[in-house]
Amino acid sequence: MTRSVWKGPFVDAYVLKKAEAARESGRNDVIKIWSRRSTILPQFVGLTFGVYNGQKHIPVSVTEDMIGQKFGEYSPTRTYYGHAADKKAKRK
Amino acid sequence: MTELVCVGAVAGAYGVRGEVRLKSFCAEPEAIADYAPLQTEDGAHSYSVVLTGQMKNGFTAHLGGVATKEQADALKGLRLYAPRDRLPALEDDEFYHADLIGLEVVDTGGTVLGRVKAVMNHGADDLLEVYGPGMKATVLIPFTRTVVPTVDLTLGRIVADPPEGLF
Repeated sequence: MTRSVWKGPFVDAYVLKKAEAARESGRNDVIKIWSRRSTILPQFVGLTFGVYNGQKHIPVSVTEDMIGQKFGEYSPTRTYYGHAADKKAKRK
Repeated sequence: MTELVCVGAVAGAYGVRGEVRLKSFCAEPEAIADYAPLQTEDGAHSYSVVLTGQMKNGFTAHLGGVATKEQADALKGLRLYAPRDRLPALEDDEFYHADLIGLEVVDTGGTVLGRVKAVMNHGADDLLEVYGPGMKATVLIPFTRTVVPTVDLTLGRIVADPPEGLF
């Protein structure tokens, strides 16, 4: 069952507080968070969060198309390396 | 840069007419046929590839010079390589994972941070997994222009300016 709209998106309070502090300081530090359940809000765009996956913090640079999803979706808890073959990486 | 890139492997024989089950490691799995002829790691054998069908986790294919089931059985587990220069040219700021893996990572002051172990993408930016001497665990750095301003493939070096809190 989906979350009721009247409640608004769920975000752990400490994530909001840390994001606000980072934005005010203007520094591009990684904001370490453990809250994988928090929703990505529009005010997080441009910030880089280190989302804990149970082992380490995975850097996640928030972009507009990530709004509404949860932080945990970008920080997998299992590692799969696979083969490099002809796979490409784009520097944004 | 590595000369040969592993693009697939033979999973076993398929049927009794010398076809093989072929696993593709390419981003677009069908592209494995475009890199043919494929060769073994030591370069001793070379095989043309004709894809004949699709199956779970791969393709069925005819390899050049493989005509019987016994020959196909003998190739089980064989890794197939393509020369690096056969991969298509890339746009600006695009890199093959195979080229990035193994590069030395230095910070803007010239201090060596480690080497690239793997390139990952979990849905956000591409990430470089860096490991180095004296590090307990690997570190992931975002592969962006601000964090990785310079990638020098000829020198085999990446200059990184990682944000505070990563290393």
